[in-house]
Amino acid sequence: MRARNFTGCLFTLPRIISFLLFWLFPLLYSLLLGFTDYRLMRPSFQWVGFDNFIALLSDRAFLISLKNTFIFVLGTIPVTTVTALFLALLIEKKFPGRTIFRSGYFMPSITAMVVIALVFANLYSRGGYIYLLAEMLGLAPPENGFLLDNRTALISIMAMDVWMSVGYYMLIFLAGLKSIPRELYEAAEVAGAGAWCKFRSITLPLLKPVALFIIVINTIKSFQVFVEVFVMTKGKYDTSTAVYFIYESGLNRFEFGYASAAAYILFLIIAIFSLVQFRLFRRRAIW
Amino acid sequence: MKNVICFTVTALAAVLLSCSSGDRRSGVVTLDWWQFWTDPSVKPTIEQIVADFEAQNPGINISITDLTWANGHEKIVMAFASGTAPDIVELGSDWIPELSSAGKLADLTGDAAGDSADFSAWTPGTYDNQIYAFPWILGTRVLYINTVLMTRAGYDEDFVPFNWPQLKELCYKIDSLGKDMYGFGANAAEKHRLYKKFLPFLWSNGGSIMSRDGSFSTIASDKSYAALKFYKELCDSTGMVDTQRRLEDAFLEGKVGVIISGDWLLKRIRNEQHDIPFITALIPGPKFPGKSFVGGEYLAVSRQSKYKSAAIKFIRFLTSRDNQLLFCKANYTATPSSKTAAKDPFFAKDPQLQTFVKQLNLSKMPKVDQHWVYIEDVLETTLENVLYQGAPVAESLYEAKLEIEKIVSGQ
Repeated sequence: MRARNFTGCLFTLPRIISFLLFWLFPLLYSLLLGFTDYRLMRPSFQWVGFDNFIALLSDRAFLISLKNTFIFVLGTIPVTTVTALFLALLIEKKFPGRTIFRSGYFMPSITAMVVIALVFANLYSRGGYIYLLAEMLGLAPPENGFLLDNRTALISIMAMDVWMSVGYYMLIFLAGLKSIPRELYEAAEVAGAGAWCKFRSITLPLLKPVALFIIVINTIKSFQVFVEVFVMTKGKYDTSTAVYFIYESGLNRFEFGYASAAAYILFLIIAIFSLVQFRLFRRRAIW
Repeated sequence: MKNVICFTVTALAAVLLSCSSGDRRSGVVTLDWWQFWTDPSVKPTIEQIVADFEAQNPGINISITDLTWANGHEKIVMAFASGTAPDIVELGSDWIPELSSAGKLADLTGDAAGDSADFSAWTPGTYDNQIYAFPWILGTRVLYINTVLMTRAGYDEDFVPFNWPQLKELCYKIDSLGKDMYGFGANAAEKHRLYKKFLPFLWSNGGSIMSRDGSFSTIASDKSYAALKFYKELCDSTGMVDTQRRLEDAFLEGKVGVIISGDWLLKRIRNEQHDIPFITALIPGPKFPGKSFVGGEYLAVSRQSKYKSAAIKFIRFLTSRDNQLLFCKANYTATPSSKTAAKDPFFAKDPQLQTFVKQLNLSKMPKVDQHWVYIEDVLETTLENVLYQGAPVAESLYEAKLEIEKIVSGQ
């Protein structure tokens, strides 16, 4: 028995070692750095207690990046979730060419974010197709393009993010829809329930666990928005987000202590949001 | 089983020993060189220069590692901080103080003494009166003017705006030619780019960012105010606001009359065979031709390098007159750091390149400062606020001064 345990341990050892070395250690080390004034090119660093955290809470650039992150999260998640559910309900019905639609909606999720961001940067620019479409519709797009204007830059990135991620969540909703027993719908039909009644009383309650999963992972992903901002605006035109701020502090100015503190503030915010979401959904969820 | 283990260990040891001691036994030194020239039209020239060096110096091998401008700075700083820096590294002119002030670069003062007369632009490579990097290839910016649009606006084909009023009038007249026509290509709030377009106007008007001793900021002056006000008016009234790349695209499509750009645009026009009719001209000042921004690529040796003398030998070879010329011809670059190379007929017979050579003599670099990364941030935010968010000029400059002084005083 002991020999078998030993063999099992040996097999799991590579994963355990990589977890300890490349996950746990950096995680704890960065927490430690958050309490120091560590800068990469300085020979030594000092323990500064909560100074970094206090400084961050009065750092205008950090607060703006947090504000933008909240706008991003609160703006994209409801739209993405509702659109994904709507598409899943449409796609679930059998109709000719259903697979093409399903693949089409999912395609952006498997395309590299950098490529999508570059394509959209062109579409949003003056003379780009989205810009021209807005002009044709008489919407008076910003003179220098959507990404070079404080009023439209962030919302344009948000719209792209919704377009990109909706297909992935649609598939998850679709899997959830498939797992709902058909008998429930049949029973409801026998009782004279209409389509809306079936959706409200059967589909929605039974999709709650799936919706919770989608909202939680989308929240975490949205709080970490970075690549889009990095590629499309470099944080200019009021689009800097929390992770972009951390990148700038850590990898442009090499203020690792300050950047680590900012990362842990973001970690706390995400943790609180996720807990609140779990609580809210757990009340009436059917698992 | 025992035999198998013994054999494996012996074989591994033999392989490792042969790897580690081969160079030393044969007396061959391998130098690591990190560089940025990855363009397929230039890389063969770099490889040719390296091959020539190795042929002339049989005891030295050069191992080239390519970097990109997108993340090269991060990689270099990380490597120096973790003690894995290459022997020789190519650096952007504004990165040197960060490394030299932290004691990461080898002091080349004694080695550069013999070369100093033939090179221009030593300042960025110098920190605390010691030289830490050799200037290699410099880069300045000039005006590009679309001559068809200029003549349509009522000017002679050989007209060149010498001062701000002439530049403004030219841009205004081109801008009035039609709906989708713009007078001046104004840079959007693009990181590392916007301030380089404004500094020529600031310097040309006698303004500056820092005091001579670097202890306080001089940006909130009447000269800076006038320069920023003029630049804003130019952008507001006649400007197409976009990223540098898209401004250049628009210039090549004949939609913008005047833009500021470097010699990379000359190369692009040549390589992509654009038939755009244009001239290059010196950046105008308030009354006479003014100053431009000059940056450059420098070569430095890591302080940890065990082969400093071999590294310096390679740097001397790379920056020699002949090799700078070879490189400039291949890259269609107009601004070698070697003064004797700049006098070559290759530059004199090409009027566009000649503009760059002349502008180089009228160019400036930001003051060497270990806090430059932060000062640049303040400068760019100020410009973004004034140019594109309607912030008042005088107040914004004063706020920038306070911010910069906070940075310099370490608060």
